[in-house]
Amino acid sequence: MSLPIRESPISKPVSLFVTCIVDIIYPDTGMSVVEVLEHLGIEVDFPMAQTCCGQPAFNSGYRDEAKSVAKQFLKAFEGAQIIVTPSGSCAALIRHDYPTLFADEPDWEVKAKRAAAITWEFSEYLVDGLGVTDLGARLSEKRTIALHDACHGLRLLKLKSQARALLSKVENAELTDLTECDMCCGFGGLFAIKMADVSGAMLERKVGFIEASSAQDIITGDASCLMQMNGGLTRQKSTKRVRHLADILAEGLKK
Amino acid sequence: MQNQSNNFIALSEVAVQDKTMRSAVVFGTGNASTRRLASMYAAGEAHGEGLRQQGAEAKRRALRKLPELLELAESNLTANGVTVLWASDAAEANAHVRDIAKKHGLKKAIKVKSMLSEEIGLNGALESAGIEVVETDLGEWIVQLSGDHPSHVIAPIIHKTKASIRDLFVERFGMTPTDDAAEMVAFAREKLRAEFLSADMGISGGNFIIAESGTLCLVTNEGNGRLCTSLPDVHVAVVGIEKIVETFEDYATLTQTLTRSGTGQLLTVYTQMINGPRRPNEMDGPRQVYVILVDNGRSDIYATEYAAVLACVRCGACQNVCPVYRSTGGHAYGWVYGGPIGAVLTPLLTGIENASPLPYASSLCGACKAACPVDIDLPKMLLDLRRDVVEHGKNGRIWDVGIKVWALGNRSQTLFKLGGIAARLGQKVIGQRLPEPLAGWTKYRDFPEFAPKSFHQRWAERKKGTS
Amino acid sequence: MSARDKILGKLRAAQTPFTDVPPIETRLRVTPDIDPSPVALKARFLKQTALVAVKPWEVADDDAAVVKVMELLAEDDTVMAWDFDQIGLPTLEAALSARKIRVTHPDDGEVRVGITGVDAALAATGSVVLTSGAGRSRGASLLPTVHIAVVRAAQILPDLEAYFERVRAHGSDHFRQSSNIVVITGSSRTADIGQELILGAHGPVEVHVIMVG
Repeated sequence: MSLPIRESPISKPVSLFVTCIVDIIYPDTGMSVVEVLEHLGIEVDFPMAQTCCGQPAFNSGYRDEAKSVAKQFLKAFEGAQIIVTPSGSCAALIRHDYPTLFADEPDWEVKAKRAAAITWEFSEYLVDGLGVTDLGARLSEKRTIALHDACHGLRLLKLKSQARALLSKVENAELTDLTECDMCCGFGGLFAIKMADVSGAMLERKVGFIEASSAQDIITGDASCLMQMNGGLTRQKSTKRVRHLADILAEGLKK
Repeated sequence: MQNQSNNFIALSEVAVQDKTMRSAVVFGTGNASTRRLASMYAAGEAHGEGLRQQGAEAKRRALRKLPELLELAESNLTANGVTVLWASDAAEANAHVRDIAKKHGLKKAIKVKSMLSEEIGLNGALESAGIEVVETDLGEWIVQLSGDHPSHVIAPIIHKTKASIRDLFVERFGMTPTDDAAEMVAFAREKLRAEFLSADMGISGGNFIIAESGTLCLVTNEGNGRLCTSLPDVHVAVVGIEKIVETFEDYATLTQTLTRSGTGQLLTVYTQMINGPRRPNEMDGPRQVYVILVDNGRSDIYATEYAAVLACVRCGACQNVCPVYRSTGGHAYGWVYGGPIGAVLTPLLTGIENASPLPYASSLCGACKAACPVDIDLPKMLLDLRRDVVEHGKNGRIWDVGIKVWALGNRSQTLFKLGGIAARLGQKVIGQRLPEPLAGWTKYRDFPEFAPKSFHQRWAERKKGTS
Repeated sequence: MSARDKILGKLRAAQTPFTDVPPIETRLRVTPDIDPSPVALKARFLKQTALVAVKPWEVADDDAAVVKVMELLAEDDTVMAWDFDQIGLPTLEAALSARKIRVTHPDDGEVRVGITGVDAALAATGSVVLTSGAGRSRGASLLPTVHIAVVRAAQILPDLEAYFERVRAHGSDHFRQSSNIVVITGSSRTADIGQELILGAHGPVEVHVIMVG
């Protein structure tokens, strides 16, 4: 499945969709995204009316509730030229499901299709959209890092090479492997609580590989996966942590 | 087979604690996935993806013409000397097999592995009619001996350890204890050889029926498939109506992508094409061949948005890559099919009300779709089935109410902000003791702290220059 | 209403699915880029047989093939076999009777060795294709623990797709005349016990290919 060629976002201002999890739990990650984009001279705005993309409802089978929240998103981002979000799963929902979600409401369908056409996940925006891989970032000391490929971004948006390309250009960042890096961490949205035992078992396997990896930090592109994995790592009293790609890039830009 | 799928959550809670079973399942599925990747993509990524597309289209073209191809297959099978029967459901299919046994005075059946036969409960139906049934696929024989059920579409005892099989053989047959798998297989070979030579009916399923020639195709490794369809005088095949492919060429693609996707083999040991009973000039082979075309819910699926699931070739690739299946094994799904294909087929074949948790037994990671040799969009089907579960009111009130409340809090920035404040304050009080249904989180992991200031607040302050 | 009518009726009443799937333009071969020259096909075939635990024996001619067959028969006093003209080794008959080895009926469960010819061999997979027919029993390649298949280099086709190209060229009626065609790729096997691959399950445990020419 090849992705359609998209309108170039070069020279366009970015409206940031920070996502609900980043908004209330990891706002620093949102700030990191802003810092990276502004470092590249991108004009960033933040539509204050945004809340959530509606994924929890959509993924649980509640289409009407998903639509009501998606409408809030579409209203908030009316007039945006480019939407960037630090979440592969949210970007995938907007790109893949918003248009069909509103198939029976033509006015909203137009807005949904527009949003789908202009929404980018953070790493693909930088690499595929802007053609940038070298941010001139440098970590203050050598660190070994590995990537966890968040599922929705990997499989629906084909994200894999972008984060690696960006990190390979970060001075002092040494990339190493994480076994089963493309195997789900067990979050899956409300799956994590509805099917808690299965989610816990999947997490147990993931934490085991994180511990076994020589990487000090695991980097991922989705804060929800991060929440799941860090929740397991702290519970196991591990010293390892999972960090968002935006955070390590922003760290590398600090003077 | 009686369906226990509504108990998935309880069954999976027990299953994930069975470390021995999980270890066996992870080992078996991991091996198979590694082999699949090596063989499907041996000529490169683009070629492998091209093969998946080719197989996907071949199956969909056949499904588009299904009624026509079924008639063509019937006509060609009949011309080949096969007796073609039709069965709307399990009862009719089982009745056909019993009638055939009665007609020919058959007392003992040897059987090739068939998932459809599990669906329809064929063994039980025959045994009630006084016909002895012996499974001959090694894994299915072990399942039969231990009163178990298969847990994977092609590796029925992927959940069992070698040690447990040794113990079974020792207990049942007084086998001299051994941990040598080759010795155990040799033991089984000898035991089952006697059964092959004494049966009067052979029962199989069917991997494909080639419509243009009326050919029943079986894909096996052990030799039991050939023995069951060659030694007894009567061979009966139960085949789902969706197993029809149109041409030799489509079959050539699919039989090879099936094996690559399932076990990594380029071809299984025996790729068998059955054109009918023995010809007048042939010295062996059955004298009667029956093919029973079984519906059992497939024509209902055909009329829905889920029709593409009928493309399934039962290779098991989706089970092998599914992190949920690898954590629970197949039995937790409560019916014949587990893993991603099971989560979709079970509600569709047995009714949504009988399997409402199954569409939720997935983190929607998408690995299944990527592995499927006929590119079935299982994740999309799971999402649509969840919509169906909710519409049927089967997801549970706590979720219906919870999602409504959540949606309310996300429809406006004001309520969202208030919700955030409430959550922050609430966390100070309850800490890690989350209320139901959220308590499942803290069973296995810590819940993060809500940030003192939301991103919204920090942005607002930043703009004002006060951050 | 018969089950047949009910099923076909339901299928026909449904909205036809997949109307947008295009007819196939170029067909990919599952194993691309096979060098079709006779030398390359033979080399590929022999290489693949090794990967599926088939033992290949290259011999120059029919006489050498007969010698090889006799070598593989140890203390056997009976064998299962296709008719000698179907195996393609007419002098095998005399060689067997010289050693007082009797050819039995293909349902004899006690015989150790079965000898057959083949209809074709497939280079891509190291497979042999056996078509049942007059003097071509199923049992000879199925019941014994050892299967000896006599293959001529000229019988090697690139792959399964090529086999069906030949079926088409001859007309599918010819194909349908045989009750049973089996593509054999290796010795019987199972991985059911602890996912350990064990060679030799219910079918032949040893498969030998005598490659003539």
